Amino acid sequence: MIRFGLRLALAGGREALTRLLVIAAAVAIGSGLLLTTLAGVNAVDAQLTRYASIYPQASTAGAADPLWWSTRDDFFHGKPILRIDVAATGPSAPTPTGIPATPGPGEFYVSPALRELFAAQPADQLADRYPGRDLGTVGPSGLTSPDTLLAIVGGTPDSVGKLPNSRQVDTIDDKPALPETTVNLILGVIAGGLLFPVLIFIGTATRLSAARREQRFAAMRLVGATPRQISTVAAVEAAVAAVAGTAVGFGLFYAFREPLAGIPFTGMPFFPGDMSLGLLNILLVALGVPAGAALAAQISLRKVRISPLGVTRRVTPRAPRAYRLIPMVLGVAVLVFALGYRPETSDGQTAVFLPGLLLIMAGLVFAGPWLTMVGARVMARYANRPATLIAARRLADNPKAGFRAISGIMLALFVTSVAVGVITTIVDERGPAPIGSTDAGTVTTVFDEKTTSVPDTLFAELHAITGVRSATAIREAPDINTGGEGGMIACADLPSAYGRCAQGAVVIEVPTGLSRWEESASSTTEWRAASITLDELQRLPVSSVVVGTDGSAAAIERVRTVLEVAFPTFWVGPNVPGDFESDFADTLRGWEQLANVIIIASLALGGCSLAVSVIGGLTERRRPFSLLRLSGAPVRVLRRVVALESAVPMLAVAALAIGMGLLAAHLFLRAQMGYTLVAPQPGFYVIVVVGLVACLGVIASTMPLLERVTGPETARSE
Amino acid sequence: MSVVLEARDVTFSFGQTPALRGASVAVEAGEILAVMGPSGSGKSTLLHCLAGILVPSSGEVLFDGARVDAMPETQRSSLRRDRFGFVFQFGQLVPELTAVENVALPLLLSGVHRKQALPRAGAWFARLGLDGLEQRRSGELSGGQAQRVALARGLVAEPQVLFADEPTGALDSLTGEHVMDLLVSAAREQGTTVILVTHEARIAAYADREVMVRDGRVNAPDRIAS
Amino acid sequence: MSVPLTLLGLLEREPSHGYDLKRDYDAFFGRGKPLPFGQVYSTLSRLARDGKVVISDVAPGSGPDRKRYVITDVGATEVEQWLTQPVDPEPHLQTVLFAKVVLALMLDRPAAEYLDTQRSAHLHRMRELTEIKRAGNLVDALLADHGLYHLEADLRWIEMTGARLDALRKEVRP
Ligand SMILES: Nc1ncnc2c1ncn2[C@@H]1O[C@H](COP(=O)(O)OP(=O)(O)OP(=O)(O)O)[C@@H](O)[C@H]1O
Ligand SMILES: [Mg+2]
Repeated sequence: MIRFGLRLALAGGREALTRLLVIAAAVAIGSGLLLTTLAGVNAVDAQLTRYASIYPQASTAGAADPLWWSTRDDFFHGKPILRIDVAATGPSAPTPTGIPATPGPGEFYVSPALRELFAAQPADQLADRYPGRDLGTVGPSGLTSPDTLLAIVGGTPDSVGKLPNSRQVDTIDDKPALPETTVNLILGVIAGGLLFPVLIFIGTATRLSAARREQRFAAMRLVGATPRQISTVAAVEAAVAAVAGTAVGFGLFYAFREPLAGIPFTGMPFFPGDMSLGLLNILLVALGVPAGAALAAQISLRKVRISPLGVTRRVTPRAPRAYRLIPMVLGVAVLVFALGYRPETSDGQTAVFLPGLLLIMAGLVFAGPWLTMVGARVMARYANRPATLIAARRLADNPKAGFRAISGIMLALFVTSVAVGVITTIVDERGPAPIGSTDAGTVTTVFDEKTTSVPDTLFAELHAITGVRSATAIREAPDINTGGEGGMIACADLPSAYGRCAQGAVVIEVPTGLSRWEESASSTTEWRAASITLDELQRLPVSSVVVGTDGSAAAIERVRTVLEVAFPTFWVGPNVPGDFESDFADTLRGWEQLANVIIIASLALGGCSLAVSVIGGLTERRRPFSLLRLSGAPVRVLRRVVALESAVPMLAVAALAIGMGLLAAHLFLRAQMGYTLVAPQPGFYVIVVVGLVACLGVIASTMPLLERVTGPETARSE
Repeated sequence: MSVVLEARDVTFSFGQTPALRGASVAVEAGEILAVMGPSGSGKSTLLHCLAGILVPSSGEVLFDGARVDAMPETQRSSLRRDRFGFVFQFGQLVPELTAVENVALPLLLSGVHRKQALPRAGAWFARLGLDGLEQRRSGELSGGQAQRVALARGLVAEPQVLFADEPTGALDSLTGEHVMDLLVSAAREQGTTVILVTHEARIAAYADREVMVRDGRVNAPDRIAS
Repeated sequence: MSVPLTLLGLLEREPSHGYDLKRDYDAFFGRGKPLPFGQVYSTLSRLARDGKVVISDVAPGSGPDRKRYVITDVGATEVEQWLTQPVDPEPHLQTVLFAKVVLALMLDRPAAEYLDTQRSAHLHRMRELTEIKRAGNLVDALLADHGLYHLEADLRWIEMTGARLDALRKEVRP
């Protein structure tokens, strides 16, 4: 029977070949995406593992020769630079990953990306921050990403030991960074957003020309083939296509691995080698996909296996009922409930939000047929054109079939709308200060070591930089732990851009950055008087230096360089508001990009599923349609039927999914962060629209088939 | 009586296979003409040429004096939609529409508003003995019922010519005759010209006249005086 | 079934002895019901009396079989008329129709046309019956149906025969 199945599959004429090719193509795309996903998770893991090796654990026991280690953040043009200061305490001290030997005092290694920046930028803006001998380049094993800006600077055990965040390290191992639960979560989200459409697509493609095949199999049943034999034949057919498709999928994956690695999903691109597959992954796809396809084929032939008469008569399936809305409503209710009740721990929050979101996701898929039916019934009631009537009736008759092809699109759009909504809002609330504002030009360095005075030469040096408007040393308030702004300066030293003194004040209380957290610097802010004298003020330690500039990148970077050279023990490099935030936002944007990729991929797949189901619907009705055409109905009417049957639910579902996604995002933001949802950027809509248009294009591509299938020959030859 | 539809020396080939080799036939207004002949003789092809579905390779097709074969496809389509009606052997009902909507389809296609089209279609149900079946789908009708619905659909737009290709081919003799009886009565009532392709004599006996198609040619036997 | 006309038709083929006529008749039309000699000779003598055949020559010896019969113009015309005229469409015509077709083939006459004419006649009658059926009451309709079904059977036979004329010609004109 297996041999017979193989012969049917391979030598079954053009129609069988076409079916094989379509299934193979579907499986190829599906398995390619699956491989990419698995490799992507591996890549994130590899990246985070290397990231972990940049922040090694302090040694517990007193090892023989530990390595002093301090990782600090510096910035250039809003991008983070990792500065690692190391000092070996003896010959057996470990060597940092990626470099041949631990640099000594006055020596350093830099990453390739940072070296490029050195060459491209004036030294007084960047390179001067790393005085000493450049020993070479940090290798990929020491970098999270090809773009990582990183410097490993040598020092004496004494000097490094005194740096903030310093620790003694005796091994530098790369422990897997991703805890299993995180991997599972990521996989879960990706499965929802991406794999679901893939599976739907494979399923739909296997159903392609099901009518024809069912006929054939029903005929075999009539002449006495047993259901088991039919199953075998069907499974062999599907498996042959799936094996071929999977092979092509592997080919596609390896062909597109490099460009894919270059997309900064996590905020930074991967090394191509990061996108690797484990043996288990390979086996999973190579064996699982064909097995799944064979299974899908069997499931789609359930009806025929039961009865030799096949599915000759069309019966209207039972209409879905309103209870299908329950999970979705429950999901929204959970999120609304979370508005009032916010668990303290982050685990508790996950316990509320995750089920809520999953409920909505599952609820959307579950409620889809019912919503499709209701929409279609309304459409049918008011339809005046025959095309609208036919399309609406078909959707209302079998909303499950109508919805199946678009459920993937719906889920993907929901997931990505939530992600994009949350991300856009967070980026908006916390993103870099607007260009040209006082904030954007304010460089602040916060001291870790307390000094009581700042040399005048430093102020002179700072003022000499073009674009610098003010430089202010802020001293630490004595009552730092009992409220107040945290810093103090003489009223005379307050640059006017940052506010004015309260009436009659000589010494005022100010924040260490001259503007409050999450508030903008403003000349109208009034700072209240401090209860100390000028003399007492001079004896307080300096906690920060705030330099106001015109906001130009050159001025900021020059100021940063000067400050870093003057105060090399900073924990976090001198920064402008937005340095952290833009770093954070970059990561989020990476996720946004991932969301975009998911949208496009799932829409493309959804389009293919749609096209396949459109073709199925056409072959099913080729006779009545071609007879309608014979009776003078223009092809235009039939085209409209096809377009309405697929495009209308797709667009409606897209709108619903985006709406629900943004609602969920809003509820999440309100409950979790107190933010109000900010509408996603136009880019998001553009991508959605482009994706939907591509989908419509795929649907439109079936139109020539429509004309062929419903030509007069059909009426004659049946 | 005036000739409403006429084929003059029509030839047609499917690739290398000639299906019509100089077929001529004239149909008078209000006439019910049976086209008979063995299987594969070209009956359906002749019907399709007369209805402007196929364009003959040579010869002329005239409807109301106008050359149908010379019209562009859009014009022939609208001719078929507005002036002709069709009944085929089976499978012409759109499965997702109810019976009454199927009947109303030609009206909707020529732009009649749904509010008028549905009652007009509904009126046919009583006439053809289909009361109560208005809301059924095609899958829920018997072959004879479906064929009567199809007949209603072919006649609802009050066409000048009704083309029926083996309209009873899928029915048993009793049901087939019932459908024919209804067809003839309705056509007479409306004055519709009917071209009826059939190979069954008892069906052809409902016509006023028959022609034989043999090997792509039409033999019209002399009228026998009664 | 018209024996005289059939014999006349056989004679038109070629002049024959009574015995040959009987043999041919039995072979083609008798079908298990052979024509008694007596009927052959009484029919032939009636035909001769009516001037439709003549006795051409008498072979020496005795017995009726010594006479050879030849068809006359009158006889030939009668055969011609019989063949071209459709038979009244009535049930149980097969044998007559069959005889006509076989003779037409034997005589190389247009058998297909005869069949077509016959089909028209049948159809015409069927139309009349259909009219009666549609207009009349149930009894009329049932009676009409009876006729219609029989006529339809004839017509089917006509159809089948029409489709196999070539084969039949080979059979009857070796
Ligand atoms: N699409 C086609 N391609 C090639 N040849 C065709 C096609 N359709 C019909 N023919 C041929 O044209 C001839 C006439 O076909 P047509 O369908 O008109 O016959 P018909 O008289 O309607 O037969 P039936 O009673 O079986 O329906 C036949 O010989 C047939 O084989
Ligand atoms: Mg036909």
